[in-house]
Amino acid sequence: MIAPLVKKEILSNLLSYKFIVVFLMTILLTALSMGIMYRDFDARYADYMLIRPGAGDLITMTPPNPFSVLARGLDESIGRSYEINIHDVVVRSGQKSNNLIFRFFPTPDLLYTVQVVLSLAALLFGFDQVCREREQGTLKLLLSHSVSRGELLLSKWVGNFLTLVLPFLTVFLLALLLLQLDPRFSLSWEGWLRLGLMLFLFLLYVALFLSLGILVSTLAKRAATSLVILLFLWAALVFLLPNLTTLAARQMVEVPSVRGLSEKRQQIWTREILLGIRDFDPKAGQQGVASSWRRHFDVVNHEQDAMEEEYRHRFGRLVSVAKSLNRLSPVASFVYGVNAVAGTGIEEESRYKEEVLRYKNRVYKGLIDKSMLGKEVSFPAFHYRYRSLGETFREGLWFDLFWLALFTVLFVVASAVAFLRYDVR
Amino acid sequence: MMKTLIKKEILNHLLSFRFLVTLVLLLIVVPATVVVLSNDTLRGREEYSRRQGEIERYMEKYAHFNRVHNIVAPSLAPLPFHALIRGISAEINQEEFDNDPLPQVFPLTDFTWIINVLMSLAALIFSYDSLCGEREEGTLKLLLSHSVSRASVVFSKLVGGLIALAVPLTASLLLGALWIALTAKLGWTIREWLALGVILVASLLYILFFYTLGLFLSCRHESSSSSILTALFVWVFFILVVPALSPYVASFLSPTPSRIKLDRELFRIYDTERDELGVKLTKEVRKKMQEQYPILLQRLSPEEEKRRIASDPEYSQAYKRLTEETAKAWAEANRIQGAKAEKLEKEQERKEKAQTKLSVALSLFSPLSAFTYVATELSSTGINNDDRFVFLREKWHEEFEAYRDKRMALLRAQDPQKDWWNTPVKMDDRPRFVFRELSLRERVKNAALPLFLLFLLDLVVMVAAVRSFLGYDVR
Repeated sequence: MIAPLVKKEILSNLLSYKFIVVFLMTILLTALSMGIMYRDFDARYADYMLIRPGAGDLITMTPPNPFSVLARGLDESIGRSYEINIHDVVVRSGQKSNNLIFRFFPTPDLLYTVQVVLSLAALLFGFDQVCREREQGTLKLLLSHSVSRGELLLSKWVGNFLTLVLPFLTVFLLALLLLQLDPRFSLSWEGWLRLGLMLFLFLLYVALFLSLGILVSTLAKRAATSLVILLFLWAALVFLLPNLTTLAARQMVEVPSVRGLSEKRQQIWTREILLGIRDFDPKAGQQGVASSWRRHFDVVNHEQDAMEEEYRHRFGRLVSVAKSLNRLSPVASFVYGVNAVAGTGIEEESRYKEEVLRYKNRVYKGLIDKSMLGKEVSFPAFHYRYRSLGETFREGLWFDLFWLALFTVLFVVASAVAFLRYDVR
Repeated sequence: MMKTLIKKEILNHLLSFRFLVTLVLLLIVVPATVVVLSNDTLRGREEYSRRQGEIERYMEKYAHFNRVHNIVAPSLAPLPFHALIRGISAEINQEEFDNDPLPQVFPLTDFTWIINVLMSLAALIFSYDSLCGEREEGTLKLLLSHSVSRASVVFSKLVGGLIALAVPLTASLLLGALWIALTAKLGWTIREWLALGVILVASLLYILFFYTLGLFLSCRHESSSSSILTALFVWVFFILVVPALSPYVASFLSPTPSRIKLDRELFRIYDTERDELGVKLTKEVRKKMQEQYPILLQRLSPEEEKRRIASDPEYSQAYKRLTEETAKAWAEANRIQGAKAEKLEKEQERKEKAQTKLSVALSLFSPLSAFTYVATELSSTGINNDDRFVFLREKWHEEFEAYRDKRMALLRAQDPQKDWWNTPVKMDDRPRFVFRELSLRERVKNAALPLFLLFLLDLVVMVAAVRSFLGYDVR
């Protein structure tokens, strides 16, 4: 019995005005966002090719992540290149956009499109599923046949999910196919796994909002009421809750401002250089002078590392508090999950920074030898390895997946219960 | 008659479910945001003064002219308006090693965001069924059977709806304002309050746009369920698509070479290319000098040369001319390359400015951007404030350099042998950086264009709404 019901749902959707609007919206925005983000990736890649480090350069850099076309996240920050100097880690010049308008508005990547637009579309498909049919009287008619309520609800869910997801999937796969023409996007099997996982998260997220829509539509008496509730819920879940809880987390965990940190860095090294010049004793010989300088640079290195560690520690606390609070809304889980899979999330960025600092400490001794004693030193090249999928899972992805699935199942079960007790008259 | 209609509209809204939800939501969100942001601002200020204290302590002990620029580089303390509007002065750090990427993941809420997203959505929800809903219920026919003109029906709906929307907004904003007023440390002056007044007017204009848009769409649709679909589609377009795409589209239409490329080019110009040019020019000079002073044609080792200079006055004179001309040649090479680099840099800046301008222009297709610019300009947290900071910083730099040169001259006069660059000296009398925000007049001037655009957009949808209702089939 389910198959004809699903077919009916799909057909009635296909003929509706709603479908045309959502179809256009999905196709247009998906294509547009992927096109634009591809261009953005291309530009960043060109920059990377220009300034990527040669052999022996004390420069840290990693090429732009191809997944940033789907979820840009913090990839720009991860791709930033630093130069390891004897006194500091310095951001290399030119890596900054001078167009301030980027800072006003969010990045229109596919993650954002799904997060905001597809969730809205899912609600629009779900909001009147039950109450509209009741208002029109078709629900009574349907249930007079030998269809169980559970079957009816299931077919509604499946039919709407398919109409919702198919246009998106078509454009998405088409875009992926086009991307495959570019050799920079040739993926390893792990890459394909990541891609599959991202797609799964996208679909799960759409399912979540569809289920929420159907749930509210079984609870509300009128379709209009259902829509009003859902739109406000949507605004609360997608924007308000994650944003407000991030602000709240900032109230709980105090983190020094980045400006303060860079001021402190400057103070440390300029002070030590001044003291080093004061201690300079031409009679001490090359070895003596070098060891005197070395003491001062050791102080710089030590103090800056201590400061950095303190900051990383506090910032890590802030992130974990913010994440826990953000997850009050499953949308946050979705965003964190996709970014983690793509390798453009906050943890990845922190890890990259830590790797840069580790690299600095690895080459530090050689750097001193080279610049103070004029020794020939060959430095190892910097290499950043992204977190593996396993690590990503262990460091929170499993929870985000579970959390999204839990909400979806909860909404489905709640709507089934509500529908079983629904007064169809 | 008009009064009765407006009253009916207002009452209708006040008793509705959506009004209740909007009111509750705003009463929670606005005060909560204000409380959190004011705390943030106060804490930011405290941190700022702590940092200044640290700089002072450093300067007392270690102030020396060689690297002092890095230490006393100006920074901006949180502004009073940050208690309500964050603007672009958010902590996204692109120039230093450390950064705080959290706000990039979930942008923090502020008053601009509440108006931009929540209120526009609420406005559409208030109006999407105002005409087609009444048609569906049949009350529209009834209403028009009285001696009421269609224009006055639309007009009363507009006024009634706007008032109904203004109530929760103003009420919640008043609560927030009360908190700000009670938190004297934030230091709001009459200028801030006046600016807030203008921002409120702009918010109402912005809300009116979406309300009227909903009204317009509700006259273009038979049923309210299709009206809301189109309304949401348009909303997504205006709120989520146009602003976010505008800088990317602008970078496509008006590309600027990346700064990284420019930096490399500049390095090449100042380094290898300058050296090549310098070598070429000095060769020419040498040739010319050798023609003039054939004595220079002799090839001498450095020791012999020294000896010759000491013993042979003719050679010495020729040699002196040669060194002078060579220095001139290098200066010329530097000048040529400097001019070349400056031209490139100017060109880059021009292109970047053009791109920013184009992004702004493109984004202004959406009232959201218009309102964002109005709000950030009036609160002095926007583009012009950023420009002003950069400008004042440059001015301070010049002052500081003048101060440094003056002090260095005095110190050298005391003891010409000493390395004054790397000697701690007192710099209590150094010029300090003082940031003064733009005056209200300048802010209003900067916000005038987007404000006018908002007004214009309102007019356009209003005309469209009235026109379509005049031709609406009310049956």
